[in-house]
Amino acid sequence: MGEIIRVGLMLMLVAVIAAVALGYVNSVTSPIIAEQKEQAKLAAMIDVAGSLGAGNLVFDSLSVPELANPYAGVDESLAVVAVTDSTGCDLGYLFVAYGKGYSSTVQTMIAVNTSGTVTGNTVLFQQETPGLGANVSNPAKFLYQFNGRNASTLVLKKDGGGAGGLDAITGSTITSRAVTSSVKAGLDALSDAGVIPAEGGVI
Amino acid sequence: MSLAQNFSRGIVKDNPIFKQVLGMCPFLAVTTSVENALGMGAAATFVLVFSNFLVSLFRKVIPSKVRIPSYIVIIATFVTLVDLLMNAYLPALHQSLGIFIPLIVVNCIILGRAEGFANKNKVLPSILDGIGMGLGFTLAMVVMATFREILGNGSWLGFNLLGESYQNQPLLIAILAPGAFIIMAFILGFFNIMEKRKRGGVK
Amino acid sequence: MNPSMLMSVVASVPEGGEPSFSIAKMMAIIVSAVFINNFVLSRFLGICPFLGVSKQLDSAVGMGAAVVFVMVLATLGSWLIYYNLLVPSGLEYLRTITFIIIIASLVQLVELVLQKFSPALYDALGIYLPLITTNCAILGVAVLNIDDKFPLGYSLINSVGAGIGFTLALVLMAGLRERMETANVPEALKGLPIAFLIAGAMSIAFLGFAGLGG
Repeated sequence: MGEIIRVGLMLMLVAVIAAVALGYVNSVTSPIIAEQKEQAKLAAMIDVAGSLGAGNLVFDSLSVPELANPYAGVDESLAVVAVTDSTGCDLGYLFVAYGKGYSSTVQTMIAVNTSGTVTGNTVLFQQETPGLGANVSNPAKFLYQFNGRNASTLVLKKDGGGAGGLDAITGSTITSRAVTSSVKAGLDALSDAGVIPAEGGVI
Repeated sequence: MSLAQNFSRGIVKDNPIFKQVLGMCPFLAVTTSVENALGMGAAATFVLVFSNFLVSLFRKVIPSKVRIPSYIVIIATFVTLVDLLMNAYLPALHQSLGIFIPLIVVNCIILGRAEGFANKNKVLPSILDGIGMGLGFTLAMVVMATFREILGNGSWLGFNLLGESYQNQPLLIAILAPGAFIIMAFILGFFNIMEKRKRGGVK
Repeated sequence: MNPSMLMSVVASVPEGGEPSFSIAKMMAIIVSAVFINNFVLSRFLGICPFLGVSKQLDSAVGMGAAVVFVMVLATLGSWLIYYNLLVPSGLEYLRTITFIIIIASLVQLVELVLQKFSPALYDALGIYLPLITTNCAILGVAVLNIDDKFPLGYSLINSVGAGIGFTLALVLMAGLRERMETANVPEALKGLPIAFLIAGAMSIAFLGFAGLGG
């Protein structure tokens, strides 16, 4: 019995030392991780919003009373940031689209102008298959096609978009479809709430 | 055995990947690019060196009945440490290695060295053994990733080697899951033949 | 516990998300875990037992059964502890260390219980159990369930699917390797290299399932 207690105490001691050491490291790294995530997001916002207008841009989170959340299925929510220039004139909006791809939830930041046209985008997070879906991070492979389109023209060629549709990434229809439909869902939610005009029309 | 041998053994003679065929999961999974291979190699080496150090340091204190659980706790602690530090300082690498960082815990190389070497040897040889095995693992991963990245993406460590036209139509399978198995088959076949030549078995 | 209560526990979601438990999603998770993202052939989890225990069909089936069994228990234990103990106290960073301790103790426990109450099953599975602690497929499925934010019900289904996928790959591999015994394999490829080549060919076949996900 004494043997078991001694051995048990030893094991517990090891675990406690480990937990304390990790607690300390975590207290050091967690603010850095949070800060660095914030920085990365801000850098992406500035980068993407550059397509809406030049000069000093002002970001302000926008609360829309009747905004539906199209991303509940992947446990995320739609957050919208309004972009204005230094004179207070509305330029457009930023939001992050979450689409369930092949092996991860792809997060794409989208800039849309006040008439509902996508002007800029960048991938914030993806863990898709290297060589296939991971190409979504390379703007020249897929996402360049999004700019200049609105909710009604965001559809893959093979999903009925015809000649005017988007070319999917070779061998990665699932990833392409996930990103396309998540962006379209975000735009639809914005137009349903009256933030941008429906289908590129006028409010 | 001399200290130099403790160090050099893991690199060629007892290479954990090519000679012992251990730690296959991260080896096959993250060798899609040389950058990932280096990152995973560095992370595993860090854990290997420190777990060997602690296991060796406390080899007379830890009761042999609970030694395996104690080793697992020690290894898991350093893995969490790497996870936190990488997330804070190398976020892009952290994202692309993904689930394979926590899985370093169950990398048989690390537990194997703790149980097979560090718990029977003094501190300095154990540390050298850890560094040697870690370098051997990293080297093997870089060799594999070199084949896969050049064939599958036309680049090495991100530098475009084979030109734009190759990158548009690469030998994609090398970077996909089957390529990992097939390339490994040929590498092991090569070592097989070398071994047999040395023993004079093949005419 | 009555069935409706059980259902609500099984379908409870960590925070927000889909409240309902849909059969369609359940099937999608199983198909994905078994075929599309096969743990062994596409995610590279559990390669060591895949190569080590696939020389004979009997032992492959035994190993597969042991893995499914431990995987489900490990998922149950790790999910409950993560959401009820670690998340409320802000200790998410202890996830890896907690999960591996859960798995290691679970394997010990299963071994003891089997030995005591079901010697027949113990004889069949016993020798594979110690190997399972370091099978990264077990820790992998526990971590993936948390990363994918699956509620408990889906997590369990995912781990059953992962276990079946592992067993399927193992059994197919064992069948092929038994045949290889009599085949004329080139000198250089004898042993592990030919096993890797077979795994590569199987992986190509499983790549074809990718289209199912669409």
